[in-house]
Amino acid sequence: MATKMEELASEPAWTPVKLRAPQRSGLEERFAATDPTLELSRHPLVARILKNRKFQFLLILPNQIVFWTVISIGLAGTVDPGLNFGTAITWYVWFCLVFVMMVVVGRAWCAMCPFGGFAEWVQRRALFRRTQKALGLGLKFPEPLARFGFVLPVASFLILTWIEEFFNIAGPGTPAYTSWMVVGIVSAALLFFLVFERRTFCRYVCPLTTLIGTVGSVGSVAGFRTRDRDVCLSCKTKDCMRGSEDGYGCPWYTWPGSADSNLYCGLCSECYKSCPEGNVGLFLQKPLTSVIAPRRRRIDVAWGIALLWGLVLYQQFNATSAFAPVDNWLNSTLHFPHYPDPVDYLGFIAIGASIVAAVSWAVGRGFASRAVGFVRTGHFLDRSSRFRAFFAPVAYGLIPVVGADYFARQLPKFLQSAPRVVPAIEHIFGFSSTKSSLYSFSLMTNGWIVVTQVAVVLLGTAAAAWATWKIAGRELVPVSRNAIGVRVATVTFALACGAAAAFLYVLMHAAD
Amino acid sequence: MTAVDSPVLEPFAGRPVVTVLTDRCAGCQECIIRCPTGALTMDAARWVAAADSSMCVGCRQCVRTCPFSAITVDGPLQVAERVELEPRHPHVLRGDLSEIRPGFTTWREVLAEAERCLQCPDPTCAKGCPAHNDIPGFIGALRDGDAAGAQRILRRTTVLPDICSRVCDQSSQCEGACSWSLAGGVPVSIGRLERFVAETAPVAPPARHDGRRAAAAGMSIAIVGSGPAGIGAAWSLVEAGAEVTVFEKDATPGGLLGWGIPDFTLPAAVADRPWRQLQEAGVDLRCGVDVRPEDVEILLADHDAVILAHGATQPLRLPVPGNDLEGVTDATTFLHGARAALEQGGDPAAFLSRLGLADPAANAGRPVPRVLVLGAGNTAMDVARTARRLGLDALCVDWLDERFALVRPDELAESRHEGVEVRFSRTVTRLAGDGRVVRAELARTAQPRRDRLPKVLGGDPEVVDIDLVVMAMGYRGDPAFAPTLPGTPVRRTAAGLPDRRWTASGIMANAASAYAHHNPVGTLALGRETGLDAATLPVLDRVWVAGDALVGPSTVVEAMTQGRRAAESVIAGRPSRPGRPRQRVPRRVLVCYESQGGTTARAAEAIAASASAAGHRVRVLPIGRVGLAELAAADLIVVGTWVEGLVVAGVRPAKAMRAWLDGLPRLGGKAVAVFCTFAVAPKGALPAMRRTFEARGAVVVAQAAFGPRERRASGTFGPTAFGSELLQRAWPGERVAALVE
Repeated sequence: MATKMEELASEPAWTPVKLRAPQRSGLEERFAATDPTLELSRHPLVARILKNRKFQFLLILPNQIVFWTVISIGLAGTVDPGLNFGTAITWYVWFCLVFVMMVVVGRAWCAMCPFGGFAEWVQRRALFRRTQKALGLGLKFPEPLARFGFVLPVASFLILTWIEEFFNIAGPGTPAYTSWMVVGIVSAALLFFLVFERRTFCRYVCPLTTLIGTVGSVGSVAGFRTRDRDVCLSCKTKDCMRGSEDGYGCPWYTWPGSADSNLYCGLCSECYKSCPEGNVGLFLQKPLTSVIAPRRRRIDVAWGIALLWGLVLYQQFNATSAFAPVDNWLNSTLHFPHYPDPVDYLGFIAIGASIVAAVSWAVGRGFASRAVGFVRTGHFLDRSSRFRAFFAPVAYGLIPVVGADYFARQLPKFLQSAPRVVPAIEHIFGFSSTKSSLYSFSLMTNGWIVVTQVAVVLLGTAAAAWATWKIAGRELVPVSRNAIGVRVATVTFALACGAAAAFLYVLMHAAD
Repeated sequence: MTAVDSPVLEPFAGRPVVTVLTDRCAGCQECIIRCPTGALTMDAARWVAAADSSMCVGCRQCVRTCPFSAITVDGPLQVAERVELEPRHPHVLRGDLSEIRPGFTTWREVLAEAERCLQCPDPTCAKGCPAHNDIPGFIGALRDGDAAGAQRILRRTTVLPDICSRVCDQSSQCEGACSWSLAGGVPVSIGRLERFVAETAPVAPPARHDGRRAAAAGMSIAIVGSGPAGIGAAWSLVEAGAEVTVFEKDATPGGLLGWGIPDFTLPAAVADRPWRQLQEAGVDLRCGVDVRPEDVEILLADHDAVILAHGATQPLRLPVPGNDLEGVTDATTFLHGARAALEQGGDPAAFLSRLGLADPAANAGRPVPRVLVLGAGNTAMDVARTARRLGLDALCVDWLDERFALVRPDELAESRHEGVEVRFSRTVTRLAGDGRVVRAELARTAQPRRDRLPKVLGGDPEVVDIDLVVMAMGYRGDPAFAPTLPGTPVRRTAAGLPDRRWTASGIMANAASAYAHHNPVGTLALGRETGLDAATLPVLDRVWVAGDALVGPSTVVEAMTQGRRAAESVIAGRPSRPGRPRQRVPRRVLVCYESQGGTTARAAEAIAASASAAGHRVRVLPIGRVGLAELAAADLIVVGTWVEGLVVAGVRPAKAMRAWLDGLPRLGGKAVAVFCTFAVAPKGALPAMRRTFEARGAVVVAQAAFGPRERRASGTFGPTAFGSELLQRAWPGERVAALVE
């Protein structure tokens, strides 16, 4: 039996603390499908790396060096975007690699991101040390805005993309514009990190967070999760959320004890470092698990996917020959003589998102069981309705095809121009020019590039069809009158989306 | 707390509305397990918290405890008005020592106030109370009409409920940390309820456990000082069956309780109660014995342990010109003399005459003598209010801003009501007079922030005529003890990250409530914890220190609790004086380590397994989780680290271990063993660790370095063999496993 002194050592004010028992019922059903079993951090070397406070710093540092180089060379280097290191590395290589990382790992980019990384160094007043006092105001992100979850960063992505299209930044166009865009993102990140607590910027504002979060859920890294959920529920300190001497509280507002997808795990390893029980691990999962398995479907994620789908459709359409007359007519009618016209930009996005919503509504209308009730009150994230019950699963099912479409969009730049990075690096040191053989060397011909794009989209389509079939079976069948009908209808829609995207790539090639 | 002092807090309009931000709610249930009313449950499908606003009372415990700020509560506090009692000010102040602050006298009042308590599952009030009284527990018993049950609950953590309920500054302790207070409302009147319990079901005398099975049977303990810390220690020890001898330098016991707190705050009958009961229980009280530092060795020869609780008795004096003039005295001298003068049969005129003052009663029509009290803390108020009862005028000056005053808010209000003039943001720059002080020059000060010392401003000083100066700016420990007691006084500030058990309760989240006069109650409470933990560790071999002697001037409840903690540590550690056979009992072994790749952790586990096989109680912890409490709860501390540095140069304990060693407290006489793991050579790592422990008074009984060869299962002297060896060295000849079987 423990002595009084030992009791004091375990709980200073021991007598009066009579916490309610945490709810454990429903745990098994809620998390069984999403709990990964393959733990990467069981390997001693991985464990040692993850425990080291320099882990994330060393991930960020190379990117930090590259991005400050991008800023300086973009401003001070040659105006030829193909020969300027800033534009070449950013648009020919980086953006494509980010998608590869997303599809394979998840939020790998977030773990090494120089924007948030730099701002976090300033906020923490340390490169890797655990400091106790943050720089800045440490405010909570306003609740009325936080309620919209992923919709807010989608909005910032749409705005940034419009600006990028307006100035032809990613074309790539004038290298200085790329630098100013990077400076703008770093400045915004710094501002948010100094005003708000944790990684509020990354969670609620970063233009890439929705794209990386949703497309990343295809990936095979489940992120940091609990080893034993019971230990987490019994934990009296929740150091993974509040921070300990060894690690910060989760910067992403995620608790390993309840994480059911890799959506919000920034792979920073702080929870792994701070857990006093050693109950957190880095887990792997089967591809698509975070798309298919989570039982909680977030409506903000669903709308985010629909809007992103609208945006990529717009980008494909405007590269076809059929789009030019429409755009010209709108420009002359609206007296906005510049590409992209905001009306057709937003219009196309709205149409793309609306198609997803309308099909979901129609499927719900056609198949929903009348016995199921829904909650129509509450805030944006909390309401439920027949439309939402169908829209969210359908949108989640589209994640692979949307991700594949974005990836395919980046392929031409990579396959045609990635070798230009070599002369661009040489040009920094003054001995290269557009006459370099690598400057005009392509990894593939245009024809093969289109084939590759279509193949990527078809692969994404197949994944989307399979994911939709599984999701519909788990979530739509129980609320539908016709189990086969609802599955066939939703899978058909996923296939149609993929086919449309693939067809557009063919049309885009024809326009070239 | 009077109605005058309670801040007026306007409630919001409407009912409380709880909103869970489901985007950020992680379903950790920190709010649910702490919600007093059960208004929060889990939405199992989405795994987020769900709120039922109709059950919410607006206490906002959930808001304070949510790690991700995912919950908000808007609306009024659903709580009845506090039952307030007005102070009983006498019509004629002079010579009247009757108690000013009333307590509850009827069950109706008690039940009305007790019903306001939320019975919080993680009560912040209990953390705010230095004794960690089970406040919801005793209030719950009162609700059931069970005063005796309430007394039993209080008795687990305090032996002075009648005294603490009168003298504690509840606004910066339990009541300041009450959920209602942290939510911006008026807290439950915990102090008055505690007093009602103490008056309705008085504290029973110590229940002495005699016989061989008593926890401290056969032990003889000397306690120096009979104040609150001495009382707390003596009570616990005598109940555990120890022979207790208490040495008090004054003629009567009680220390500060006896002479320092006037009767109008703490009636003598209440203050005398503990010592009456302790003496009846067999405590050997020896008054008039002044134990000096050099006497400690003599006490150790005759007793198994010594607890030094001699207080902080040296008054601080303001270093200004004229402080040595006649008519300048200190609070101790004044209060001692005034107490004797005002009690029945005393002679106030003679006392005033000794101070060089004319008795105002015998000199009607002449100006009333004016006492300048330097300081405006609780002692200063006691001096000023006592002066008023002697018929004198009193002026208190303090260089602190009134917003950050150290005085109890109700005491300040009562003092002003009794005619004491209190001026904050002033300091004395000069005392003047021809042989005897007659004037003081006061300068203005400015203190914009609580954590900054005030600055003395320039300009012409204000001159005030005075007849007596009493310095009541605080006390310090006897400097003669400083060389004997290294490391004291202990600073009551918690360094680094707050313990997350405290953060989780919400006490740290919203400390600056209006009721607590914007005192950071959580930070104060956590700081006090440092003192309580320090009391559990011996400063020298078989010597513990508690109370003001340990931490400098503190409060009655803190000193009492420290005394109890020191006594519990003595009982658990079972020290023996030379010649007395040690008891063969399972020891408490703490194995702590700093490990990076797991090698040192495995060595620690092997050592622990060895100790455990020998029948001892063993804990294995990384150093990050070893605080004062863990160190105190160990008879043998085994510390291990990996070593860093180049192969041949700069080899030393790992950086985290060095930082941990630097922060170690005194470990007087504690048995310690050190080990390290290395790849090539340990070099100076072990001697460095050894030196650190020895400098803190610990006894290093064994050391070992484990290279790759020793760590192998077939190694010649591996961690397992070291575990057995160090137990033999710590307690030669003891084979506890056989004893346990």
